Amino acid sequence: MSFEPKIVGILCNWCSYAGADLAGTSRKKYAPNMRVVRVMCSGRVDPTFVLKAFQKGADGVLVCG
Amino acid sequence: MAKPKLALYWAAACGGCDVAVLDTNEKILDIASLVDIVFWPIAVDFKYHHVKAMADKSIDLCLFNGAIRSTEQEEIATLLRAKSKVLVAFGACACHGGIPALANFTSRAEILQRVYIEAPSNSNEQKTLPQLQTKVAEGELELPELFDDVKTLAQVVPVEYYVPGCPPPVDLILKLVDLYATGKLPPAGATVASDKSLCDECDRIKEEKKVTKFYRPHEIIPDPKKCLLEQGIICCGPATRGGCGMRCIKANMPCRGCFGPPPGVVDQGAKMLSAIASIYQGNDTAGINRMLEEVVDPAGTFYRFGMADSMLKRKRLQKS
Repeated sequence: MSFEPKIVGILCNWCSYAGADLAGTSRKKYAPNMRVVRVMCSGRVDPTFVLKAFQKGADGVLVCG
Repeated sequence: MAKPKLALYWAAACGGCDVAVLDTNEKILDIASLVDIVFWPIAVDFKYHHVKAMADKSIDLCLFNGAIRSTEQEEIATLLRAKSKVLVAFGACACHGGIPALANFTSRAEILQRVYIEAPSNSNEQKTLPQLQTKVAEGELELPELFDDVKTLAQVVPVEYYVPGCPPPVDLILKLVDLYATGKLPPAGATVASDKSLCDECDRIKEEKKVTKFYRPHEIIPDPKKCLLEQGIICCGPATRGGCGMRCIKANMPCRGCFGPPPGVVDQGAKMLSAIASIYQGNDTAGINRMLEEVVDPAGTFYRFGMADSMLKRKRLQKS
């Protein structure tokens, strides 16, 4: 069985989340490994969020914004 | 009326907390006349079996300093919890793990290897390590077992109050005694210190926080009136609870974070890292890499006192 990483994506509402949304409405496919969490600004991201994601078993964290 | 009974204990800590109690100087006589000291291994000659013989909840106030990292400390913490009405985590080690909790960056096996085998001052040709049981002519000797993890007191037994600090300042010790004596103790779970960050009470001049280079305290002589962080010295004030009386700041030294995180902050180290990242002025990779090198020992700097109580808890142990 191949390794399927769980990646938590913390995405900015105004750019990267909008991009992910646009990918969806344009019917583009992307790997389901990333679970998206929307924040209103990537400046909202606290290092605690990243630690929490790893603590809960994430293999990777992607912060976009 | 019988005097209230006071117990003090010293677990994984340096002993400074016990000295801090004595630092109350002549006030210690007031304390001694107010209470009966029923257990205090460093100062009075009561043994564990004396405590075991007491009725449950017969100690009115117990000041417990030190983290928990051995079976003996765990046993006494459990015992004193059962015997005490009010159990106080006294000092940084009992509250947040303190300096001993930096051992969570390693493991028991690595510690024993380093201390008993590798340390250059050792002469241990038989490579003897401490054993839990040792047979001698007189019978079998037993030693407490060291844990892999250093834990806070509250991770082992329920705790009523927290008095942080390395060591707790005298005015907070007296405040606790006063709150107790006047029956004005806050609701359980409270920390006897400020509810704000150290920066909030710091009287240094704070202008704009823009740092282009970080210094270690011995590398520059800081201006005693200006914010240390603005001068490029890593001061943990933004992520540390106030109430300490700014002992370090007044000595022109940065805050090391011994009061633990302010209320509402889960992870002191992550919060401090966040503060440092937001004030650094550098956009290029080379500058950021240089800054990372300037912060020597980031884990030990940001989690100096709070490792056991942090979200990280410890280095991941290799599964054997």
